[in-house]
Amino acid sequence: MANIVETTDLTPRRRGLSRRLSTKGPTNIVLGIIGIVWLVPTVSLLIISLRPEADFGVSGWWKALLDPSSLTFSNYRVLFDQGFAAGGLLDSLMTSIEITVPATLLVTFLACFAGHSLVFGRWRGRDVVFLVVVGLMVVPVQVALIPVVQFYHELGDLFGLNPYGTIPGVVIFHVAFGLPFGIFLMRNFMSGIPKDLLEAARMEGAGEWKVFYRIVLPLALPALASLAIFQFIWVWNDLLVALVFLGGNAHTPLTVFLYDQNHELQANYWIISTGAIVSVIVPLIVFFSFQRYFVRGVLAGAVK
Amino acid sequence: MASVVLRNLTKQYPGNNAPSLEALNLEIDDGEFVCLVGPSGCGKTTALRMIAGLEDVTSGDIEIGGRVVNDLPSRDRDIALVFQSYALYPHLTVADNMSFGLKLRKVPKAEIEEAVQSAAKILDLVDLLNRKPAQLSGGQRQRVALGRALVRDPAVFLMDEPLSNLDAKLRVQTRAEIAQLHHRLQATMLYVTHDQVEAMTMADRIAVMNLGVLEQYGTPRELYNLPKNKFVAGFIGSPSMNFVSMRINRDAERVHLTGIGADSSIKVTLTDEQSDILRKSDGDDIVVGVRPEHLIEGSIDHAGFSAVATVEVIEFLGNDEHIHALSGDTDLVAILNAHSGVARGDSITLSAPLDTVHIFDPTSGLRLN
Repeated sequence: MANIVETTDLTPRRRGLSRRLSTKGPTNIVLGIIGIVWLVPTVSLLIISLRPEADFGVSGWWKALLDPSSLTFSNYRVLFDQGFAAGGLLDSLMTSIEITVPATLLVTFLACFAGHSLVFGRWRGRDVVFLVVVGLMVVPVQVALIPVVQFYHELGDLFGLNPYGTIPGVVIFHVAFGLPFGIFLMRNFMSGIPKDLLEAARMEGAGEWKVFYRIVLPLALPALASLAIFQFIWVWNDLLVALVFLGGNAHTPLTVFLYDQNHELQANYWIISTGAIVSVIVPLIVFFSFQRYFVRGVLAGAVK
Repeated sequence: MASVVLRNLTKQYPGNNAPSLEALNLEIDDGEFVCLVGPSGCGKTTALRMIAGLEDVTSGDIEIGGRVVNDLPSRDRDIALVFQSYALYPHLTVADNMSFGLKLRKVPKAEIEEAVQSAAKILDLVDLLNRKPAQLSGGQRQRVALGRALVRDPAVFLMDEPLSNLDAKLRVQTRAEIAQLHHRLQATMLYVTHDQVEAMTMADRIAVMNLGVLEQYGTPRELYNLPKNKFVAGFIGSPSMNFVSMRINRDAERVHLTGIGADSSIKVTLTDEQSDILRKSDGDDIVVGVRPEHLIEGSIDHAGFSAVATVEVIEFLGNDEHIHALSGDTDLVAILNAHSGVARGDSITLSAPLDTVHIFDPTSGLRLN
């Protein structure tokens, strides 16, 4: 009876909706399943972090779904109560931020300048430099670890400034390895900006710097936002570089902190799960705050 | 306002054999509207970009308002360029697009506001000032591009095919608007186009260019009535002038010309002046030009040009029609009244009055007389 009323009462809009659901239905179902499968590890991690430590070895995390009242923030409380003591979760969080923020800002800024110069500059050999940059993209990090450590020590011997074991040392390495891709991305995006726009701005009295930040930079924002997100997540998730270059430093980023909880005979799963959730939150904030810059068609209306 | 003088202006791109622009001499008077017209690759845009300061000068001088500006950056030349692509800043509103240059020059806010408002009024953009370029139609974008030049009140306006991206109807309308704008501002304008109709309708004087060389510089009437050479004759006027290669017959009392081979039905009688020129010259061949609008169907007294031709194609245009007719091996185009009753396949006589026939040297292409 209710069904009959439903079908006879369909307004045009509802009919459109039902048709859309019927044609897109299978797609939506498949996508929904994929989405759920992808979310399972993260959700399970969240639940593990919310379960009392004692429950961990006793039952699987999904048991908590039957008894949500057993969930507690006690793990978080214990870790946060340690405050910013070296080696603690919050100290690691700060260290991660101290490494990632400068490494991201430097790469995005330098890549923007380089992109502008490679596309709109008037110097010879721009293409060769760009090719070299593209070539550098294929150099694996592992190849450079030992030579750069030696180079850092050499700097220490020569100038008394050894970046090894310091946060700036890690940042410099990340910037150096983030730049080739950054330059590649910015250069390719900027080459889509019509040259007429720059010529128009120059004719109206803009110098190169004004052309850059009044015209090129606003138009390159979508690329800039994606580069910032990529770079942030790479550096944030890096374990190898931090392990190699922070040897002996009491402050370690979150990745190293989590790694240290993995002992040979027994792992502190309650700390790992809680720390992992904390380490996921920051990239999520970055992603969602930069997301609004992903606008399609920023160049629409410029020419023709 | 200022005059513009080009002296032997030459542009040679590295790696090219021939210069893109060869020793261009041009004087544009204060307040004059000059069109640079020619087929693509003729160097007209290169010349414009050199005046704008977007291309380096290989040799020669550019003078704006009595001052040589060769080595002056664009922004110090007091010029505004309307780009073919409009080149609007897509991230700025119409108002910001128009005030961009004034803001860079640190013009007081109130003055900027006033300039933008008055330009917007002239160009009918008042309601669009807060829109972004993406939300505008082609014609509106074009007007914003004009407005951006207008607010700066430059000494010289440069325009690079500003109408080529508009549809035919809008082009005619905007053409009139630009001409009106010129009358209103009395500004010096240099306008580049490949469309001779635009040049003819708007310009005070037209510079016809071809392959980097200036072919002729004069008023639209001069160019139409007395083209200096075959190129200008063929370029100005639509449809193009008909050209026929003919043989000179000096035996008779009056010099007359006959078509060669299959074209023998084409006959040309010359004016006294033209006869005198040909009597003094040698060489047996000559090129004759006659405009489609001067051809009439049927025989006339004192005909300069006459040909018997078979109608191949008729293009009906309403008031008149374009007739493509074959006489021997020569395709002749004539504009006839739509009521002429000519049908496809008809054999007709096409005639033109004595004083409408142009003659050109077959090798140099230069006009004879």
